[in-house]
This record gives sequence, C-alpha cells and structure tokens, in this order.
Amino acid sequence: MTETSAPPSATTAPAPEPGTAPQRKRRATAVGHFFEKFALLLLTVAVFVFFTFFPASSTAFPTANNLSVIFGSQAVIALIAIAALFPLVGGRFDFSLGAVAAMSQTLAAGLMAKSGWPLWAAILLPVLLSSLVGIANGFFVTRMEMSPFVTTLGMAMLLFGINMWYTSGQTIITGVDPAIVKFGSARFLGLPLVVYVVLVVAAIAWYVFTHTPYGRSLYAIGSNAASAKLVGIPVERNVWSTFIVSSVIAGVAGIIQLSRLGSATASAGNEILFPALAAVFLGATAFTPGFFNVIGTLVGAVFVSISVSGLTLAGASGWASNVFNGLALLIAVGLSTYLGRRRRRG
Amino acid sequence: MNDPTSAAPTLALDVRGVSKQFGGTKALDDASLAVRPGTVHGLLGGNGSGKSTLIKILAGAYRADAGRVAVFGREVALRDFNAAAAAEAGLRFVHQDLGLFDDLSIEENFALDAGYPLNSARGVAWKELRAQVARVLEEYELDAEPRTPVRDLRASDRTMVAIARALQGDDGKRLILVLDEPTASLAAHESQGLLDRIRRRADKGQTVVIVSHRLREVLSVADDFTVLRDGVVQGTLRDEHPTEDDIVALMAGGLTVSLRPTGSQSHTTGRPMLEVEDLRSGPLEGVSLTVHEGEILGVAGLVGSGCSSLLQALFGAYRPHGGTMTLAGEEYAPESIGEAMDRGVAFVPEDRVHEAAFMDRSVRENIAIAMLKEYWTTKWMHRPREDRRASELIDRFHIKVDGPGSLFSSMSGGNQQKVVVARWLQREPRLLLLDEPTQGVDVMSRADIYATIRDSAKHGTAVIVASSDMSELHALCDRVVFLKQGRIEQEVFAGQLDVDGLTALVLREGPTPTPTTLERTATS
Repeated sequence: MTETSAPPSATTAPAPEPGTAPQRKRRATAVGHFFEKFALLLLTVAVFVFFTFFPASSTAFPTANNLSVIFGSQAVIALIAIAALFPLVGGRFDFSLGAVAAMSQTLAAGLMAKSGWPLWAAILLPVLLSSLVGIANGFFVTRMEMSPFVTTLGMAMLLFGINMWYTSGQTIITGVDPAIVKFGSARFLGLPLVVYVVLVVAAIAWYVFTHTPYGRSLYAIGSNAASAKLVGIPVERNVWSTFIVSSVIAGVAGIIQLSRLGSATASAGNEILFPALAAVFLGATAFTPGFFNVIGTLVGAVFVSISVSGLTLAGASGWASNVFNGLALLIAVGLSTYLGRRRRRG
Repeated sequence: MNDPTSAAPTLALDVRGVSKQFGGTKALDDASLAVRPGTVHGLLGGNGSGKSTLIKILAGAYRADAGRVAVFGREVALRDFNAAAAAEAGLRFVHQDLGLFDDLSIEENFALDAGYPLNSARGVAWKELRAQVARVLEEYELDAEPRTPVRDLRASDRTMVAIARALQGDDGKRLILVLDEPTASLAAHESQGLLDRIRRRADKGQTVVIVSHRLREVLSVADDFTVLRDGVVQGTLRDEHPTEDDIVALMAGGLTVSLRPTGSQSHTTGRPMLEVEDLRSGPLEGVSLTVHEGEILGVAGLVGSGCSSLLQALFGAYRPHGGTMTLAGEEYAPESIGEAMDRGVAFVPEDRVHEAAFMDRSVRENIAIAMLKEYWTTKWMHRPREDRRASELIDRFHIKVDGPGSLFSSMSGGNQQKVVVARWLQREPRLLLLDEPTQGVDVMSRADIYATIRDSAKHGTAVIVASSDMSELHALCDRVVFLKQGRIEQEVFAGQLDVDGLTALVLREGPTPTPTTLERTATS
C-alpha cells in the first residue's frame, strides 16, 4: 500500500545516543517549545491585528459584519480540512474531497431545480452518494492496494467530469429551496449558524481522534501500519472507514456551501480543496507539532480566511491571497521541520 | 593535554582524551581508543556507554568537545571535522543500515559511490566497470555476478558488498574500516561466515574497528578490545583472549548478569497450555508441539525453516490451512490477531523497527496501543492512567528513558525492545510468543529481558521463543525443539546440551524422513 508522506516535521530521526535524550530536551528551551506550539496562533493574531490597523483595510476589516462573513464563507473550507484529517492521520491522502463537495452541492441544487425534489431528499441523496464515493475510494486503496494519491486524483477528475455533464457547465441559480438559503444566512449570537455546524463537527472529530480507541489506532496506523496490524488493530477496516468518513463530511460541506451561496457551479471543487489542505498542513505545525490535529487545523483555517479577507479588503488583487497562503505554508512547514530537526540533533 | 608529537605513528587510529557533553551529562569522558594496524578491534559497551557517540564523532556526525584523533599518525582537525573530512582521513564506515540500493546491481552500487568509468563518448564504460567490479568481488570472496541486483544476495553478502564498496580503490593498508553492528540483522550461521571473511581481510592487513552487541562473535574475531561504560573507558585488552565473562564484568561493572542457563529453575507445572497438532501454513508442513504452563519452549531453526511463520500462525496473523490447536483446554482457531489477543496470546515480532515500533509516537502511546479497548472504559481515553501505567512499566522493566512522554525513537535499541516486551506483558498473557527477542539488543538489556521472560513464566505464562541464537535458547529455555523444512525434527532439554551441541543440531542438514522426537513429556 502506498502511503503518503508523513506530516511535515514528523521525520523520524535515527535514534540518538542513548542516555542523552533528557539533556537534549532540556536544551531545547521552554521558549522554543512555546514558540513551536503556538507560532501559528500568534501569527494568526498578528495578521488579525495588522489588518485591523492597516489603513487600507482598517475601516472594513474589523467590523462584526465582516468577521461574520469571513467565518461563514470559510466554514466549508474548515469542514473539508477536518474531512481531510481522517485519511491523513491514518497516513493516506484524499484528493477527491473538493470534487465530492462540488458534486454534493450541484446534485442537491439540481435535484431541487431540475427534478423538483423536496429539500430533505435533495440533501439526503447527495450525502449518501458521497458515502458511496468514500466506500469506492476505500475499496481501491485497501482491497486493491492502489496508491491513495492516484486513486483519489482519478476519482476527483471523474466526479468533476460527471458534474460538468450534469450541470452542462451552467451555474444552477434558480429553483433552490429558499429554506436552505435561509439556513445559510441565519445567525445565532452574531455568528452564522454554519459556523456552529463546523464547531460541532470539529468537536466530534477532536473527541474521536484523542479519546477513542479508533482515533488512537489511526495515529498508530499513520505511524507504522505493519506494527499496528501486529497489535491487533484492524488496519484495513479502519483505513477504509477514514475514506468514508471524509467523503461524508465533504458531502455535508457541499450542502453547506449551497446554503451559503444559494447556487451551485460544477467547477468549485479545487478552489475549496487547496486552502483546506493548506489549513491542515499549517495545523500540523502547531499544538502537537509534527502531527495532524483538529485544533491546529481550525486555527489554520481561520488564518487562511482572515488573511484572504484582509488582503481583499486592503485592495490586493485576487492572486495576492494565493501568494500569501502559499508563502505562509512554505514558511510554516519549513520552520517546523527545521525546529524538529534541531531538536533531535546533538 | 594537547601535545602534538605524542601520536604514535605505529597506531592506525589513535583517539585520546575525547569528551562529549550533551546538556548536563558527559556522554564521553576522556575516552581513548588505540587501534593497531592490521588488527580487528572490538569496541564494546552497553546502553548509553558512549560507544555510539564515539563512532559518531569519528564519522563527523557529532563534534567532540575536547580530545585528539590521529589516523595513521596524521592528526585530524577535530574542530571542523565532518563526514567529508572523516573520509579524507581514511575512515570508512559501514553501518547496520548498509545504505545499498537494493534494486540496483552490484556494479551500479559501486559506481554510484565512486563514479562511473566513462568511455570516449562520455557514456558509461560498462565493460570496464564490470571487469573492475568482478575483480573486487573475487577479492572479497563474493560469489556473484556484477550485474546481480543487490536484493538477490544473501544478507551476509550484502554486508560484504557494502564493505567492499566502502574500501574500493584501496589495498586496505591506508584505510580504517569501522563496522557498526554488522551482524545485528544476520542469522547466526550467516554472521559467522561474514566474520570469517572480515578476519581474513584483517590478516591481509586491513584495520577494522567493530561494534557489536553479540559478544561471542566479537570475541571470536577481534584481537584487541576497548570496553566503555558510562562514557569512560573501563579497560583495554590487547591480545589477551578474554572470556565472555571477563568482558561482561567490565561492561556491567559488578552488576550480576543473568545470562546463565536457568537449569533446574524451570517453573512449569506440567499442565498443557497450548497443544498444536499437525499445523500446516505456508512453510509449515505439519507441526505438532505442546507447551506447558510456566514453561519456556525454544524453537530453533535456520532462516526459512518456518520459525516466524509458526509464531505468526499461532498469533492469528495467518489462517492455517490444516491442523488443530488447543489453548488452555479449549479449541483455539483465531480468525484475527484481535481474537488471539482476546484469548490471551501475545507476540513480540522479530523486526522491531518495522513491525513493532511506532517511532514518532511517545513511549506512553507505544505501551498503551495494545490496551486501547481496556483503557477506554469511561468513554474517554484516560490519559493520567495511561501515564501512570507507562511509568510503572518503565520502572518495572528498568527502561532507560526520560519519561512516558519521550519519543520512542529517542531510546536505544535495547530499551525500545524492553518497551515492546512491556507492551505485551502488561496484558498478562497466557501464551507469550517471542521472535528473536534480543536481536540487536545489548548485553545488559538482554539480561533484563531474560529476567522479565523468566518472571513471566514463573507466574504461569507459557512462553515460546524462536531464535537463531543458540546461546539465547540455551540460556533461556527449558526445552528446545528444532524446526526443519516445516516440521519439528528433534527435541531436547536445554540443560542436556551446551551451546555448541545445540548449534550442531540446528546446522545438521535435514530431512530425516519421519520426525524423531526424543521425548514428549512435560519437563519437571
């Protein structure tokens, strides 16, 4: 089974000379540890403060309304990021999540607009189909022992093509049930409802990863699948399940996206996937440096969204946010890799 | 202490007063190493003795805080010593991980290191390369074609290729070969062949420094010995032919070592724990054996004889296609590893790094991983309880580690193995399966692990140990069975024979037509 590379700084150093580990640990100062753990959080705060006082964005950026828009529009990215965590923790990669979300979004819209389905059925079927995609991905990766990267890339292209066929390349604007759009724009305590959906999903994911045998087994599989098998972990079953879980969350994310936008385009997939993956990998540099984790992923998603919003409001062109996020990812991963290596050296 | 003229030109490698400090502790304290040209020098020491630190300083991976190194009388500048400078000085290293490209041919492995010979069109002169490599292979007693992929060689030959590659282009007089655990992953008879060849290189003038946990082997091949403990040189033996006990005494520093046979201390009650009848699976062609409560049963066999397959089949990793098993009086046919674990079976695999370790996870997680279901009683993973449990086990098994939160990879091999054994013993198994339990483990940790296994047997656990190391089976087991060509060929009480006797039995080529069993009764 081909495995994706470990998270950026999880490179396993050769065992250092025994008896010296304690000393080395002490040498990596408390400041360094603190910095490594919370660098992303501090950076996020710094970016926030910057756009709050930066003249070009200071009028529009720090308003409650703008923040609410930021969090609302980035909810989908956060959901996809959490979805991607499941296979990644188990050492596998799912490239099809953006396409699954897009499929779910267009299908739900299409079922209502073209076929006149009731809202509940138009939501249920896309989510069920998403789980089927996950079952297929998991089957290829575990039973057929195909490379997760190639498998899910192929699946993404396949879904994208079917999406284009289904929508004929058009954006579905009319015919979407107003109830779902109302849900998408509804607020509770000043924040969009969908943000609470993200928080609930994140809380469940956090619980699963840190406080269930299943989640712990995923980290073990990601660390060494052969060892995991020999301590009685059903490796194949658990890896398979991560693809199903991630696809279902992505399917739900597509519905949420529909509720936010009230419309659906077939080509939306990759625009969601890349920032989501950026959030996941940024998150892996924080809190438990070197490991994918839910809290880091959320902070990563917030970081990505406020920087995009701030840059846009400051008048930067569309390309600027991509450049900024790309650089942020390179620097964050580079720094955490460097710190990790320095920590392990004599 | 820096007297530039004191390096004796007669020494191949002269290390003096080398110190290295990590944080507050001295990993090496005023260590010296004097290697005479054309000799094999054994560098010995237990966990944390500083021998790896010394090797890493010589390889240029660590920088020494103080001290001097001279190679064939030429002082090297330790201040900015690095890997390139070490190679320049004439030091050649072959590590446990040989660094060969397994999929490429022998000749390409040579050429990637030294450069390809080129023809007039700047292409590779394959014929020339092939002839060169063929000459080298002959010189190093390797019976292989230059075009053979390294993967197809036997393990000891691969090591020899790595050695020949490290020394290529030299007659052996100007280079010092440093072998770091060259036999750690080799079966006993393979490593003997390798050591014989190394010995013959030395007789032709090659200088060799060898680091190994296998004392017996080093004793058989080395002329001189340097023994380290806690970063300090405990003794230097020149042409003294020490015994294993002499060396162990230096390494342990007065600690008693339980590497001796248990002899009459057997804890077996005579009640059968596991009965296997006509087991067929993979290379196993009808294995029958019984192991009793409190008994330590050794399974001896050459590589490929099916020892590992036997243990894995007993652990439910493979479904056997024939035979019956009974565990504690009840039928036992595990469909999965999980079921075997639920029935009280535990398995320590042979390949710690690839099949047992979670290198980038903490010691606590490495221990708890076999108990996830048991720890998850309150719908939460109880972190403090895991920590407490891990700390208890670290104390009980004398594991040298900072704490349960330390990375698994931060420990030495011996301590890693203790953690793996602790992982399984915390489950208090009824049947403990161990595959090469002390491979690549230093002598002190080995003593600890033996004590642990015996203690577990004392509490009623039935233990099966598969090992290619006859001294291990002799020291540990009550009874030894010999697995040859998928069958149990012979059975002896460990006390009946000495190590050489066991070795003779395991090497004796099968196949005798019917399994001959000396005795099938329980040991008393």
